Amino acid sequence: MNVPVSGVLGLSAVLFGVGVFGFLARRNIILMLISIEVMLNAVNLSLVGFSRHLQDLRGQILALFVIAVAAAEVGVGLGLVIALNRNKPGAGVADLTKLKW
Amino acid sequence: MATASVVSALLAVTRRNPVHSMLFVLALFLHVAGIFLLLGAEFLAAVQVIVYAGAILIFYLFVVMLLDLPDEQVRPRFGRHWPFAAAVGASFVGLAWLARIQSDLAPAVTPSDQPLQGNLAAIGGALFGPFTLPFEIASLVLLAAIVGAVVLGRRKAA
Repeated sequence: MNVPVSGVLGLSAVLFGVGVFGFLARRNIILMLISIEVMLNAVNLSLVGFSRHLQDLRGQILALFVIAVAAAEVGVGLGLVIALNRNKPGAGVADLTKLKW
Repeated sequence: MATASVVSALLAVTRRNPVHSMLFVLALFLHVAGIFLLLGAEFLAAVQVIVYAGAILIFYLFVVMLLDLPDEQVRPRFGRHWPFAAAVGASFVGLAWLARIQSDLAPAVTPSDQPLQGNLAAIGGALFGPFTLPFEIASLVLLAAIVGAVVLGRRKAA
């Protein structure tokens, strides 16, 4: 099946925009992290699209590394959320004013 | 499939209940895996389903249910400046769309007879051939993340 690369890039752009919107608009740390995942997925999509377009396997390798880094980011990010939640319940970013002077 | 993934992404960032959000993100991940399959990246599709849908999303669900956010239902979902955020997202989409239209997407490589195979043997050969050092660095990144998560997650007295 032949998938046009322009369609893949358009979908990737739209998904990335949705992720940016979610990251900037949501007030919940967990949903902000999920928006980051959506953005990473969009980038993976465009990497695989280019890999297909240029007939080069390196795009897929890079997408694999992006997935690995996303997994690491989730581990550290959710660890931070749990550590913050232990000190002070709630996951809204408006509550996190401890470092503000 | 593309439409379904965009719709589920939009629903995921706008739902009020975080668990509903997670389920829509799961739908998004599965659709992206399907698109990977259509693009000939079978191994990446499998990794997408296993790592994203299997591991990362379950982790998120655990944390959502562990934290038991009661006040999420009553508080406003978005901050005060959400139109600004929407404008930023929309402008990014417009910019990328413009770049997509203006860039020359003629086939840079003449399409060969057998399409590019993203199967396990090809990916593994590339990973352990020219990409050995980045592969090891990725494992180092994961190790650092494990250590960081354990340090962040343990109790103070330990």
